[in-house]
Amino acid sequence: MRDAYVVGAGQTDFGSFPDESYRSLFATAVDRTLASADGLGRGDVDEAVVGTLGVGGRQLGLSGPAVTEFAGLSVPTTRVENACAASGYAVRNAVQAVKSGMADVVLAGGYEVMTDASGDATKYWLGVSGETEWERLTGTTFAGTYAQMARAYLDEYDDATVEDLSRAAVKNHANASENPHAQLRFECSLDDATDAATVADPLTLYHCCPTTDGAAAVLVVSEDVAEDHDDLDAARVAGVGAASDRVGLFERDTYTAIPASERAAESAYEMADRGPEDVDFAEVHDCFAIAELLAYEDLGFCERGEAPHLLREGVTNRDGDLPVNVSGGLKAKGHPIGATGAGQLVELWKQLTGHAGDRQLDGPEVGLAHNVGGSGGAAVVTILEGDTEREGKR
Amino acid sequence: MRVAGVGAYVPRFRLSADAVADALGQFHARGVEAVAVPDADEDALTMAAEAGERALGAAGLAPESVDALHLASTTLPYEEEAGTGRLRSLLGLDEDTESAQFTGSTDAGGAALAAGLERDAPTLVVASDAVRGVDDEAFGHAAGAGAAAVVLDRDGPGRVTARGSQTTTNPGTRFRERGSAQTTGLGVTSYDRQALRETLAGAVDGLDTAGVDAAALQAPDGDLPYRVAGALGLDTETVAAGSVVERVGDAGAASALLGLADALRDGAQRVLLATYGSGAASHAFRVAAEREIPVRATVTGDRALSFAAARRRRGDFDSGTPDGGGASVSVPSYRRTLAARHRLVAGRCRSCGALRFPPEGACGDCGATDGYEDAPLRTRGTVETSTTISQGGAPPEFAPQQARSGEYASAIVAFESRGERGGAVSVPVQVVLAGEDAPGIGDEVVSVPRVLYDQEGVRRYGAKALPADSRRR
Repeated sequence: MRDAYVVGAGQTDFGSFPDESYRSLFATAVDRTLASADGLGRGDVDEAVVGTLGVGGRQLGLSGPAVTEFAGLSVPTTRVENACAASGYAVRNAVQAVKSGMADVVLAGGYEVMTDASGDATKYWLGVSGETEWERLTGTTFAGTYAQMARAYLDEYDDATVEDLSRAAVKNHANASENPHAQLRFECSLDDATDAATVADPLTLYHCCPTTDGAAAVLVVSEDVAEDHDDLDAARVAGVGAASDRVGLFERDTYTAIPASERAAESAYEMADRGPEDVDFAEVHDCFAIAELLAYEDLGFCERGEAPHLLREGVTNRDGDLPVNVSGGLKAKGHPIGATGAGQLVELWKQLTGHAGDRQLDGPEVGLAHNVGGSGGAAVVTILEGDTEREGKR
Repeated sequence: MRVAGVGAYVPRFRLSADAVADALGQFHARGVEAVAVPDADEDALTMAAEAGERALGAAGLAPESVDALHLASTTLPYEEEAGTGRLRSLLGLDEDTESAQFTGSTDAGGAALAAGLERDAPTLVVASDAVRGVDDEAFGHAAGAGAAAVVLDRDGPGRVTARGSQTTTNPGTRFRERGSAQTTGLGVTSYDRQALRETLAGAVDGLDTAGVDAAALQAPDGDLPYRVAGALGLDTETVAAGSVVERVGDAGAASALLGLADALRDGAQRVLLATYGSGAASHAFRVAAEREIPVRATVTGDRALSFAAARRRRGDFDSGTPDGGGASVSVPSYRRTLAARHRLVAGRCRSCGALRFPPEGACGDCGATDGYEDAPLRTRGTVETSTTISQGGAPPEFAPQQARSGEYASAIVAFESRGERGGAVSVPVQVVLAGEDAPGIGDEVVSVPRVLYDQEGVRRYGAKALPADSRRR
């Protein structure tokens, strides 16, 4: 199969935007994406794939065309729903379309508006991606399910502590402070994070991502298109892997790993002919602090139970050997559910093509994005490589 | 028909007379020291299920062997709808169980028992009530809660040696208007006493009350039973031996039956049981234990509540389920899974034998879609992981429960199969807390029937759990 490239990427700021609609946010992401893809315009796009959960209950049917037509993209549009992994999967679908030869230029993105609902409505929507017929009927929302995972993790690994969860939050807040698109651009201390109000024991407020409005998109093209447009800043899609699992945590064999993440990563590494040791930086799905620790282990960045050590030793800091969530992650960049996966790929593309501004890493070549739906009912892992032959054109 | 076993359940919470007097500046329920208060997720049906399960356990009767179910209550969650339908499922009785519902009068417990004695196959009689009244009347101050159940069969150790009944015409002593949750009455003291006295005396007339060890009389408060004792040929010690009202309050249709359970457990051999409902009607029974009648009764409380905490549990201080939407489990799809929800019935894969909960969909072990054999789980399980859902953290459909009862835990619990093949399966379950810490990993919990939530006017029941050391005997 032919190669696919990401040749443009854009996102709105992530945050709370009472003056924007889900359509206007998506249109802004499309504009910025196309503007970043020198030489390609709306007329070149063959197809669009849009991820959204539909938080708030707005346009649940035809939620793809509702935004692409508004954004001036009158192309076949498919909406993808895989909870928080919606647009990670949208990008995967775009890659499949391009690699199969059915399309040459596909826009893949996502959007969500979460901050215009009442507190009660928000709690309703935050639970809809958990297992709704059994798990939710114990009176839990999402924070509760991840708290159960955190509790099990702290129980299984004696030296893991609540402070280790806080370390992920502290790091991601520090990173977000350098990202102009991030929602929570303030630093926090280890004590701030550990001593904050409990949301679901042992998770505190600082261990939980915020609710966020935002949209993000990337442009995926065939190698022919990439070759025809020398000016494009291209990152090759080296590998993409996806996996599903039981939606309810109680239905799985382990509470201290996300098996779908492991399997998605295996597929992506195999396709890319790479291993975790080749990854220069990663954007991982840290909806709750425990999720970042599990991601390190599921993605093979360390052995089981070793994630706290990566955090304590600063390995995943921006200046560490394996920077993780340089964007601020879901924790501090924000988590507009349907836009999150695409937003991770925006960060990968920017870092690999030298567009990351003040937070630019030093010449990374391989980036990995890890996007999880629910508590692990779906996961998608995407590996992008900078195109070293094009380096001079950055 | 004979008495094979007796069960009783009273909620753990108590509101003391002193606490009410402190809050309201008055307390008019004579002889009542404390009243039982149901938790926010308890109602007449969950209490009936608790009492029924205890009675069946005491009698050693399997639920599927029950031929008839008689349910008595004045405070069922619906004015119209057969509560026996839910209770049958909560208890695991077969669908071919004949059922009858007795309501509209606190005499219903006696009426249900009298009807049960006319049957010729195992019958479970359950009386359950959670009484309410306004806060400036004795009815409100006395309002308690509880449930009692009697298993009748052909060869139980207890025999009803005599019985009687009476129907008089005494309107206005106690009533609840259509649509109201509050029991009230005219409060004509001498008239009220006379109504009780003449109706009870008529029912008891002809029963040999001499030689009874205890008299379990309808007890709207802790004073009236003693006021009528003389007319029934009873002394005050005998009445006291069959009384729980001072500890439980007015338990409505369950009142006298709770006294029976308590007296039998204390070793009484011959008990006079007399129920009464305003209007007025009464049923009386002379129960003799020819051998020891097995009793499983949970009557004592272990948590004192302030007046505010008690009223909070009753829902007086919250606005109910907020807008925003609840977990959408349609009633038809809910009904399809009742065995799992009400009684923790898991499934054993027909292909590989692995346990699965809920027993539907492809097997988690072998992937087969051959379906499942019923695999009932034990009521005691071990916590695999849990978290505390703090105030404000509940999804909308659980917000009223949290506003009323406070923190609870959401847990995953491993329950073992009851069958010989053994094995355990993970079940998501809410752990009800009453000030305890959430159970830790490895701690034991015990499943209990509770209300999950109301949606579109329809109440959902399901298994929750209590920390094992909070389970009262």
